[in-house]
Order: sequence, then C-alpha cells, then structure tokens
Amino acid sequence: MKKLISLLLAACMVLTLTACGGGGGGGKKPEDTKIVVWVGEESAEFYQKACDDYVAAHPDFGYTITVKGMDTGAVAGTVTNDPSAAADIFTVAHDNIGKLAATQCAKPITDESLIRQVKADNPASFQNVIYSSLNGQTYLYGVPYISQALFMYYNKDKVTEQQAESFEGLREAAKAAGTKAITVTGDDGFNNSFALLATRVSDHATTVKIYQGADAASGGSKGTSYCQGDDTVAIVRWLQEYAADPNGFKWASSDGWEADLKNGGALAVIGGAWHYNSAKAALSETNLGIALIPTFTLTAAACEGLSDVKAGDVYRGGTFADCKVFMINAHSDASKYAALQTLVKYLSSKEVQNESYLNCLNVPAYVGASEFIKSCFDGGKVTESQYMLACKQVEMAEWGIPQPFLTGTLNTYYYSKNAPAVLRAMIDKTAYPTTGDVIISETESLEGIRKGLYMMEYLWMHGQNPKDFPSPLPVQA
Amino acid sequence: MDSTLNKVPKKKTIDLFEPIGEAISNFRKRFEDGSLGTKLSHFIFGAGNFYHKQYIKGAIFLLLQIAIILFMVLCPSINGTPYGWKALYNLSLTHLHEGGDFDPMTGEFSIGSDCKLIILFGFVTIAVIIIYFLLWGMSISSSFKADMDEKIGKKPTSFIDDLRELLDSRFHITMLTPTCIAALVFTILPTIFMIALAFTTYNSQDMNDIGTNLFHWNGLQNFRAVFTGEGSLGVEIKNRFMPVLGWTFIWAIFATLSCYFGGIILALLINKKGLKGKKIFRTVFIFTIAVPQFISLLAVRNLLGEYGPVNSMLVNLGWIAKPIGFLGLHPGDSENLAKVMVIIVNMWVGIPYTMLMTSGILMNIPADLYEAARVDGASTVKMFMKITLPYVIFVTTPYLISSFVGNINSFNTIFLLTGGGPTYTGYQAGGTDLLVTWLYKVTIDQGSYNTGAVIGIFTFLITATITLITYRRSKAYNEEDTFQ
Repeated sequence: MKKLISLLLAACMVLTLTACGGGGGGGKKPEDTKIVVWVGEESAEFYQKACDDYVAAHPDFGYTITVKGMDTGAVAGTVTNDPSAAADIFTVAHDNIGKLAATQCAKPITDESLIRQVKADNPASFQNVIYSSLNGQTYLYGVPYISQALFMYYNKDKVTEQQAESFEGLREAAKAAGTKAITVTGDDGFNNSFALLATRVSDHATTVKIYQGADAASGGSKGTSYCQGDDTVAIVRWLQEYAADPNGFKWASSDGWEADLKNGGALAVIGGAWHYNSAKAALSETNLGIALIPTFTLTAAACEGLSDVKAGDVYRGGTFADCKVFMINAHSDASKYAALQTLVKYLSSKEVQNESYLNCLNVPAYVGASEFIKSCFDGGKVTESQYMLACKQVEMAEWGIPQPFLTGTLNTYYYSKNAPAVLRAMIDKTAYPTTGDVIISETESLEGIRKGLYMMEYLWMHGQNPKDFPSPLPVQA
Repeated sequence: MDSTLNKVPKKKTIDLFEPIGEAISNFRKRFEDGSLGTKLSHFIFGAGNFYHKQYIKGAIFLLLQIAIILFMVLCPSINGTPYGWKALYNLSLTHLHEGGDFDPMTGEFSIGSDCKLIILFGFVTIAVIIIYFLLWGMSISSSFKADMDEKIGKKPTSFIDDLRELLDSRFHITMLTPTCIAALVFTILPTIFMIALAFTTYNSQDMNDIGTNLFHWNGLQNFRAVFTGEGSLGVEIKNRFMPVLGWTFIWAIFATLSCYFGGIILALLINKKGLKGKKIFRTVFIFTIAVPQFISLLAVRNLLGEYGPVNSMLVNLGWIAKPIGFLGLHPGDSENLAKVMVIIVNMWVGIPYTMLMTSGILMNIPADLYEAARVDGASTVKMFMKITLPYVIFVTTPYLISSFVGNINSFNTIFLLTGGGPTYTGYQAGGTDLLVTWLYKVTIDQGSYNTGAVIGIFTFLITATITLITYRRSKAYNEEDTFQ
C-alpha cells in the first residue's frame, strides 16, 4: 500500500513537472486572427474600447483585438526577454527603439500612408529618434502617440503663481514656510535633466551635447557629447549654492517625494504627467499648482572665473521631451503585417490621441495638440489642473530635447554608468567616487567641477571611469 | 613513521587510476567473454536482449538508440534554433547568422541566431549524448547479465521480471528516477547554463543575444576582471568585491548569532517554570512569523524613514535637529549606522523562528538530567552551560549552518530595508549590499549577465566551502549516532 501511494505521488510529481515545462517553454503564439496590443496600465480600458469601435466600424478587418495594460517602463525588458511571447503591437518610451530594433524584437514600419501620417503629425524632434537601422538601411520603427516632459507641481497654498516662476521665488516662499523650496522625483539621468539641460532664456542656448550626430546605421556611432562648457559649470555651481541653502533644493526623502510634498518637506517637485495622481493625493486638487520648470539667475559667485557666462544671465530648467511609441513585434506572423500597420495608424491618429487625453490624460504627441487641449478646457471637459498639466507639458517640450539614445549602448552608458551619481556628488559637494582608482577628492572648487563634468562626459562616451585626469583636461572626453 | 608517510601518496595514485583501469579491462573482458549478442550490443542497442529472447527490453533499447540517433542527425529545432549535431556545431558561437532579412512588401522577417538558446540547446544535446552512452553501457551489461545467468543455468530475466523487481528489491530506483530527471531538467541544466554565461561577453549594454553584436565566449576574462579591473564593470568588481564579501560575512555571522541566541534566551524565558500565560507569549511572538516578512520589513522601513514616527519623535523632543538616515537611504548617510540597524531589524524577523524551534527542544530535554544535576549541587548557570546549551547546540547545528548560508543570501532583508545603501557614489554596490543584492543590481540594473554569473559562482563557492567545512567538523555530523 505504502509503495502504491509513493508511486502515485511520484507520478503526480512527474505530471506536474511536465505540465510546468510544457506551459513555460511553449511560448504559444496567438491565433492568426487575433491581435494583441500592450499599452500602459492606465490606458488599457480606453484602447480596448477604441479597438472594439474600430473592429465594429470595419467588418472586413478580419481580426479580433485584445488590449492588455502593462507597466510601460518594463515592457522593453519583457519584450527582449521573450519576444515570441510578447504582443503584436506594444508601447515603449522611444529611447528603447534602438535596443529593440538591434535585437530583432521589432519590425520596421513600411506602410507609406502611415509613414506620411507620422511625418505630417509629429514635431521634427521626435522624427529624429524614431528611426533605426536594419542591415544598413534606415527604417521607421516607432510611431509616437503620447508626449512626455518634466514640469513642476507646487503647493498653491504656500507658493504664489509668480513665485512659482523662478527658483528664487520658490526660495522666498520656502523661507516664509520654514522649509525647502523644491525637490525631484529621483536622482537618475532622466530627472537630473532639469539641471543638465537648462538653457539660457534669451536664446534657448546650451553648450551641452548628448550623442549629437549619433548614428545607429554606421556601426552605432556615438556622435559627439559635451558637457564641460562654462554655462554647465556655472549651472552646477549655482545648484550647489541653491542646494546648500536651508530653503533651497533637496533630494527626495527616503520616504519618497510624495512624503516631502505632503509633509511640507518641500513646496514643489519636478515631475511628469505620470506623477499627477500621486501629486494630487499629496496636495489635494485645490492646492495642486502646475507650472513650467522655473527659471534661475546666475549669481556672481557661480560665474567667477568663467568667461562665457555672466552674472544675471537667466536660465530655465530643462527636460527630456520624449514620446511613447507603438512598435510592431518582429515575431508576429507576416500575414498580419498589413493589418498591424493599419491598426497602428488608427491608434496613433490625432482623433484617438485626443480621446486618449480626455479619457486617460495622455498628452498627445502631434504638433498643434495645445489647441485641442485648450478647447477641452474651454468646453469644461477637463479640470483646471488637468488642463494645466497638458499645457505646461506641451510648453516645456519646447525647452527640451528627446532622449537621443539611438542604441541600447548609449542608453546604458548615459543612465547606468554612474554619470548621474557624479552630478549628484557635485551638487552635494562630496568626493567622487568614495573609493576606487580615479578619485575627485572634492567637487566644490572650479577644478573639482571641471573634473566631474569631464568624468560624466567620459562615462557617456566610454561607459567607464577615465583612467586618469590629464592636465589640461581634453575638450572632448 | 617514514614508511607511513611514503605510503600515503602512493595509495592515492592507485586510488585514482585503479577504477579506470579496472573499467577498461572489464569492458574488454565483457566483449571477449560475451555471447554474440553481447558483442553485437556494442553496436546495436538491445541486440543482446533479442539474442536472449528478451524482446520487449531489446525493443526499448533499440528504439531509444534510433530516437537519439535521429535526434542527433535530423536536428529538430525550436524557434529556429536546432538541437542535435548542429547544436554542438553552433555551441562555439562562431557560426552565427545575424538574420534580419526583411521584405517590406510582405512583412516577412527572418530572426537571426539566438545565442541564449544555442547555449542551452548545446548543453541539452551534450546531456542527450551522455544519456546515449549510459544506455549503451546498460544495454551491454543487460546482455552480459543474461549471458552470465545462462552460464549458471538460470533463465535470463524477462521484462516483466525486471518491472516486478523495480517494484520490489529495486524500488529505490523507481522512486529516484523521476526526481533525478526533474533535478537534471529543472536544476542542473539551468545551473550549467548560468555558469556558462560567466565565460561569455553577454551583457545587455553592447552585446545582444539576437541580432547584431552577438555575444561570444571569452574564457576566463570575466574572472580575471575581479583581480585586474578590466572590462566595463571591471573597476567596480575589483574595488568593491572584497569590501562586499567582508560585509557579507560580518552580516551573516551577526545576523545568525543574534537571532540564534536571542531566540534561545526568549525560549528560556518563556519556558521558565512558574511563568503564567506561556501560550499567550508564544503566540504573540509567532505573530511576526504569520505576517509576511516583506510587510514587516517595509513597515520598519517606514517607521525609520525621514518622516517616520521615530525621526518625528526625536525631532519633536528636540534630541536631534534633523532626521537621522537610519537605513542609509541617502548617499551621505552613515554606513555603520545602517549596518547596525539592519542587524537589529533582522532580529525582529529572525528570532521567533529560533524561539519556536528551541522551545520544542527545551521541552524534550529529559527532566531527570536537571534533577541529577541539582542533586549534585550544580548552579542554574552551570546547568545551562552543561546541559541546556550543549543539548540545544547539538540539535540545532545543521539549522545554524543553513541559517548562516541563508543569511549570506539574505536578499529580502537588505533589499527591502536599505536597498544596499548608502550608495557609494560611482558604484552599484553600496555600504550594506551583500553579494546577492549586488548580483541583482549588476544583472537587473546593469544588464551585465556575465559579471553577475561570476559573482554568483564566487558566492556559491564560498557558501559551499563554509558549509562543508563547518558541517563536517560539527558534533552533529561526527557523532550523529551517539545522540539519544
């Protein structure tokens, strides 16, 4: 009897294992008449309805469409891990296009009417970052449908609209409230763009170059990067001063930036549309103010010893102005190719983008979306904060550039090789790195800052710390 | 004395080569002495069984041989990656094609070689080849056994006899086979695959598994980087490996001992004679086990956070001017404080387990031992040192070792409390990072799968060595039979 039971148990185990193995390794593709679309979690319901409407209006389309909500930040990773199990159409931030194209996870888009639509609807800045190469030929890979940029949320109860226009105004409000003026949602390379990409208000100028002229087709050329200009040095010095001020800048607390806003630890935060619900929860709808990233005026101390900048120059905080794009899975059956392109064309059309803003607050990517946004507010279709969010984001996009990472390597070098940590060390005036081969013993002096900026540039270009600091520092790392 | 010394190495040499020599001579003997069937079995599986009229057994062997040969020749493929001889050919990672042929009109797209699958399938194919040789040996010995049976006038065992035997005298084989197969498929093969990645250039930054820039083998270069600092993560590995390893040990020792002795003391207190409401106390402490660990840890993280109750209270009392970074979540926070805090917080989640186990052991210590000690006039401390502690330690040594190893790999506590912080500006591995949390950051955040595999292998070597040495030297192992 005992043996019988043991045998049965063993059989059960084997069966279970076989079942597991079958399920995991199968990677079953959807049926050919089915199309699966992955969009952001917050928009799944809306896009399902939009797709259902499309299928109902086009009985000859011949496919059923299932929309699934995903964490869009993680989609690129999910797709690269197992593209054969991914959706036919998926959504990613545009900076993933290079990696997804190089690993054959995405298929080029060749439908001429769709290409025409992309060219006609989107700003030139987006057009530069949605192409990639395949076997030496350049193709359109991503179709923009949501735009994203950083702007500022602030506490209307403690900060006036005028104070919110400049970092100095915010500091004044913070002094009155006995707290810090402003924080950020993270210290990564995306969020620190408010400092690094700050531009002079008078002419929108900055000397910062990030992978300018990079080309995925010519063996993944990294182009030119530069961040050692006098303006960048002055901005770092100004931010050092501002962060050291008891009523100036602070990094987000260990409890999260929401806690800072809620507990009055900071009066404002630089964030994006995806932080809207959290910011509203922290400050309440009535106290939630939305504005452009403020301006700041370079002080005499910040400009000391620098020739290309002068005290009194006004700069505005910058941003990466990005887009989310639809891509087509390379593993999808070729028989669906035409239908997938038709569907992408529909989903990225101005009409669906507009509806998407009304339903899910996704700010449209097309040129001239601000008119529609305004008409929505005038018509009472959105609240004031929802209107401001879209307005300020669209406006901020003019002060920024899209993330210029045409290949996966550039993306990793920029974000994951510690360049953001160098900037943070400089703002905090701490040594960098704390242990290791090449040490910047202090980041307070002009020499320390120049070394730090050179190191950042070197990390962007080479993905590792420089072996030493030549004297004088090379103009190009 | 001298003669003993001389003998030792000599004996070792014999030990090493003797079995091999024996196997070769046995193999030859079997071929020479065996029947025609046994001789044929060296080329055709099951031929000997057919010769001895064991048709079912013979057919099974033959079918398996044909299946494996077909598998090797026809090279079935999954997702465009072949098994069989092609898998072995591809395993060198030098004959790959980048694919990506695309027809803009039809949308036909050819996916290139998949390096990850190629490595995996290569090892599966090697496993199949090993199985082939095992079957070869089994087929020959099965036939030879029948020869021997015939020689002594016994009827060769039929398939039914074998099956019956598998349920009787060889039942252990029946039971162990599924487990072994499962271990091979779900544990050993993936482990070999992961180990293999340590010898490649695979990282998600500039190398791909499909498409352009395919990764390739690079020998021991990743291991050398730990000492020389070459490669994209080389400097980090070189500068941070030893400090992280050192802290991993300190953490494991303190975390294990603090929970262990804390648990014993708590159990002693609760089991103290005359204490009322023992069950209530025991239940209260068990609650921390009932609450999922990650919830406890996140709750503590909030308690100790910048706006958490602890900091708010201290600020309100005027004891501190600004919040203390207890858990090292900011780069400038104190590393030592964070280290002390994680060890203390870990006691909260770890002590109840030891308490629960020790309670059971304490209740099992024969009361007459204490009785006898008391009669002999032993003090309470002496009784604890001479009876309770040895008894508890003897029983819990394997637990102690496993909890030490568990703490070396204690991902949750560190990751959820400090996230490895305070970060060392410029490096992934922060002040409280253990090897295992660093490994996570290196693979998930940096996408350096090869470097991650190297750290994983080192972690394994260290834990395995410590476990083996300590366990083999423990009383629980050496005096296993003497425990009563």
